[in-house]
Amino acid sequence: MKIIVAIKQVPERDAQVRINSAGKWIEEADLQFAMNESDAYALEEALQLKEKHGGEVIVLTAGPERVGTTIREALAKGADRAIHIEADDLTQRDALGVAQLLASAAKQESPDLVLTGLQSDDLGYGQTGVIMAELMGVPHASLILHVDKTDTGLTVKRELEEGWFQNIELPLPAVLMIQSGGTKLRYATLMGIKKAKTKEFRKVSASELGAAGASTAVLEKITLPQKQKSTQIIPGSAKEAAATLVEKLKFEVRVL
Amino acid sequence: MNILSATLAEPHSFSPWEKLLLVASMVASAALFCRRLGPILKRILKSRKDPNFSLAPVGKRVWDFFWEVLCQAKVIRERPLPGLAHAFVFWGFCAFALVTVNHIAVGLGVGFLDPHGLVGGFYFYFAAAFAIACAVGIFGLFVRRFVVRPRWLGGKVSYESGVIALLIFLLMVTYLAAFAVSDASPSARILWWTHTLSLLIFLPIIPHTKHLHLVLSPATIFLSRGGFSKIPPLVGDEDFGLVAGTDLTQLVSLQAYSCVECGRCSEHCPATNTGKELNPKEIILGLRSYLNEFGPTSQESLIGKFNSMTADFQCTTCGSCEYQCPVGIEHLPILIGLRRGAVNTGKWEDDHGAKLFLALERGSNALGMGALERDKFIQKQQFPIFDGTQEYCLWLGCMGGYDPKGREIIADFARVMNYLGTSYGVLRKEKCTGDPVRRLGNDLLFQQLAESNLEALAQNKVKKIVSICPHCVRTIQEDWKEFGTPPEIEHHSEFLASFADKLPNQTDGRVPQVPVSGPGNQKIVFHDPCYLGRYRNVYDEPRAVVSLAGELVEAPRSHQRSFCCGAGGGLAFLGEETGDRVSHTRAKELVATGASIIGTACPFCNTMFRDALSATGKAGPQLLDIAQLTARGLPSANAAIGVTTPGGSSRE
Amino acid sequence: MSGVYVVLEDRGGRISRISWESVVAATMLAAQSGAKATAIVIGAQTEALATEAATKGVAKVVCIEHPLLAQYTSDGFTTALEQFIRAESPDYLVFPHSYQVRDFVPALAARLGRVLIGDVTAIGEGPIFTRQLMQGRLSGSYKSAGVGPSFISVQSGAFRADGAETGAAEITTFAPTIDAAQIRTKPGEPFRGTAQTVDLGSAPLIVAVGRGIKEADNLPLVQDLAAALGAELAASRPICDNGWLPIERQVGSSGQTVAPKLYLAVGISGAIQHLVGMKGSQCIVAINKDAEAPIFEVADYGIVGDLFEVVPALTDAIKSARQ
Repeated sequence: MKIIVAIKQVPERDAQVRINSAGKWIEEADLQFAMNESDAYALEEALQLKEKHGGEVIVLTAGPERVGTTIREALAKGADRAIHIEADDLTQRDALGVAQLLASAAKQESPDLVLTGLQSDDLGYGQTGVIMAELMGVPHASLILHVDKTDTGLTVKRELEEGWFQNIELPLPAVLMIQSGGTKLRYATLMGIKKAKTKEFRKVSASELGAAGASTAVLEKITLPQKQKSTQIIPGSAKEAAATLVEKLKFEVRVL
Repeated sequence: MNILSATLAEPHSFSPWEKLLLVASMVASAALFCRRLGPILKRILKSRKDPNFSLAPVGKRVWDFFWEVLCQAKVIRERPLPGLAHAFVFWGFCAFALVTVNHIAVGLGVGFLDPHGLVGGFYFYFAAAFAIACAVGIFGLFVRRFVVRPRWLGGKVSYESGVIALLIFLLMVTYLAAFAVSDASPSARILWWTHTLSLLIFLPIIPHTKHLHLVLSPATIFLSRGGFSKIPPLVGDEDFGLVAGTDLTQLVSLQAYSCVECGRCSEHCPATNTGKELNPKEIILGLRSYLNEFGPTSQESLIGKFNSMTADFQCTTCGSCEYQCPVGIEHLPILIGLRRGAVNTGKWEDDHGAKLFLALERGSNALGMGALERDKFIQKQQFPIFDGTQEYCLWLGCMGGYDPKGREIIADFARVMNYLGTSYGVLRKEKCTGDPVRRLGNDLLFQQLAESNLEALAQNKVKKIVSICPHCVRTIQEDWKEFGTPPEIEHHSEFLASFADKLPNQTDGRVPQVPVSGPGNQKIVFHDPCYLGRYRNVYDEPRAVVSLAGELVEAPRSHQRSFCCGAGGGLAFLGEETGDRVSHTRAKELVATGASIIGTACPFCNTMFRDALSATGKAGPQLLDIAQLTARGLPSANAAIGVTTPGGSSRE
Repeated sequence: MSGVYVVLEDRGGRISRISWESVVAATMLAAQSGAKATAIVIGAQTEALATEAATKGVAKVVCIEHPLLAQYTSDGFTTALEQFIRAESPDYLVFPHSYQVRDFVPALAARLGRVLIGDVTAIGEGPIFTRQLMQGRLSGSYKSAGVGPSFISVQSGAFRADGAETGAAEITTFAPTIDAAQIRTKPGEPFRGTAQTVDLGSAPLIVAVGRGIKEADNLPLVQDLAAALGAELAASRPICDNGWLPIERQVGSSGQTVAPKLYLAVGISGAIQHLVGMKGSQCIVAINKDAEAPIFEVADYGIVGDLFEVVPALTDAIKSARQ
């Protein structure tokens, strides 16, 4: 099976974010970056499928030069080769624009399966995989926890709301959006990193894949939200506090 | 017979047949000896060279040789009675060198030491004294092994040990008996031949038993790596640690063949003592068996027939094994090398281990907590931020930054530093020093952490660090050296001890708010952390600090024999232990001293004992770090008493 | 035609609560141009749904019906809505930000050259759509640009749907043309995780008990709370060490790591070994009688009090709220 895993490099989870001077994105200067979390699960799922059914796993990442470290991490964990779409202006593109880049590159490879993470830790749109499927004209499924290959294609386990699940059958080629936590991730090893040095790492510039159309969903500005996370100690007697807590659970936490 | 005038009997004329027999048996014995020793030496020499090995500083090597081999210091110190017995046997062998040469020469008709002469006479009496000591010694050791049967010598009866003991005894007895007979008597000849045959049978037995240490251990001790737990660097793109026979180095092979099976390493191992599979002796003997079966050029995995991966990952890296070994075997680089081989190649599959690695791949600390938590702590405590102008950088570490108890220790230490007027600051961002991943053998992650940290420290212009955690101290000072030049670092016990005269003495009532009948009179049992004691040789400084806060008492196993708390080697981050809990075992020992306070100097020890004590349920001793013990003696903010505080400058 | 349309989602034959919240959002949006919203229900037999929708303060209800829409599939719903959009040319389509919507609306939007602005938490004048970035650390203001319908999905709970507006809207039908061959995925019946095994990792709500409970006999107190919430029961290590609860329920460094929507820690002090197992929870509530307990450092909400009083009171309050 030829599997493409679309991986995004995002600011580290721990990062203290500051808004840049233009007010439209964050200051990237002294940020640390890491592989998007659900993409790590997508990669793990792809590697397990390759271990079971043979084939190759190709990493596909778009972004500026710094995404090279994340690509190498994916190669170190077991991917066979990588495609780096060089683009310095990803923040100017909307979800459709980014998906177009990835889908163009992916189409050139004629993969059997494309895996993406469910959503990115920075923008969190959660749409890229679905749009890629639409652009590539193939079926898709999202929130996937488990993938099994069958004679007719795939059977996947999808997460539904409130603790329900569903199995879906679909033919190949297809796109799947992988949910975090469905499997155990492997750690990067020294041996993996050394092997990665010799793996194919192809670069293609975004302009080669087509110019971006005008954005239709424009991020005008970003701000720091009013509420900062701090502990709210609920006062009052046991009964009063319980009642207040239930209010919070209902309307702020929204679990009741 | 008058003892004082007895001289050693030397049979005179040996017939040509006897001389022929002598020469033939000498040749046979020597040939057998060489045929057995040869392959072993070959295997050792064929192993790959040790990277980074240098004979310098030779002075230390010579001293260690003198002290540990010739004086048998460690042998005696760690197991006094059996050690002394062994020392007598060893010294007996040394003293007998010339005796033996002369003995053979006599057989060939060219004896050069005259028992009636001044030199010869004196020497033979001299050797006789040692012979008595040696005979008594070997007899005692025989009784110990076969009658007393201590468990650390192993369960199986060792026939070869019995044979060797008998031969040595025979050698000594035949020598001593020769003083009671005359040169010409037939008994002299019988004694002479018995002595000779014992010798010639003994010789070829040496390479095939643990008595190989007679030949190898002086070299093993002389050729040590030159530091406690000295982990060699990986060399080149194909080196992942100890994966197969080809990775075993000459030092490792030499050490594997030097093992005397004394069991001192196992006797002090926290894992072996709590029912785990890990037994350090078995690790070393396993390598020996591997070398005998597969050799140093084999691609066969080291973990397999003679080594268990489960056992390898039960080690807390406390170092008792390496410390105890009388023949210079360095267990820690071997254990960590085996772990490297498993982790760097991805063969080690462990949920908790993977979780730890992933937490450090993606984040800044080993606990997987968000860095914002540390920021909140710093803000709440209002610590000064390090900006390059202060003298010290106070390193929080993962425990000091995120663990509630670790934070208490940091807060109290900061209070003491404020009292002393020390200029210090805390870094805005810290990354884990990499200690747990270093000890677990993940070199990829360790290199990333070490390099990242070194760069950050250089950028922040950090010159001196003080830390509450011996693991951080060790890793920064020693392990980071492979990737750069770390700043100076001291442990807070060293820091506090250097200011002992300025710290409040809670025991003599000079500090008014601490009444003489109060806390200052409490018994405090100090637990030596592995990474401060055995690794860093710091024992007196924390005790100096504890003595200011109360009455110091020692645990039964203290100083170099301190029993691990169980957290080291990355084990604090791994899953459930099998067998008894190491931490509970040690906690029981500390509680049994009757002290009202357990004093610690490591946040990991602190956390392990806190769990262990709370598991017993009933009220036990208090658990306080030395920083907390010191801080509780400080004048509080609203004390109206005129206690003078020392000036604002740091020490001269 | 133009206007604001809101697409309702049904669960087991009834319109989902989050759909009603979307109606509120759509009504707000429509009000910016002085109009009202039109509701859309999709399915094979939508009469009951449409009747329910018609009473909720919308101008009109459109039933998009086709036998192949009986069960949700991305292909089916996308094709059906695409045809509707091309026929009616709406300005805005508002959706609830549900798993289902995330599965097909991005494809639908892409098919029309547009992009979904998803998980919106507020709608301002303009309209400006606010959504969270970087896991809630930033707020982003979005504007829709270009020609074509704008697709919006609203976050659960962002718009309060308690105002019971009534009315009787007009109901119309729209019949899309769908071929069976167009539906490429075959969804199975929904099922629950196996009831036998304890799967804390996927439990959305967890109530965890610690040493504050003092004795095993007091556990029913916490079990009642968990039952009332519909939550899984978990415990800190000492509880499992004592054998009061099985080891599968242990949360912490030597147990499970969980990240549920709600983690309610009862009588747990918050030692680091426990914290590392649950600090990823979206919302942490702590009940402990010690105000200095470290658990309060990581909690979003805390009650400092005697759990033997607070827990029963909480159980009662939850039961009443659920009625």
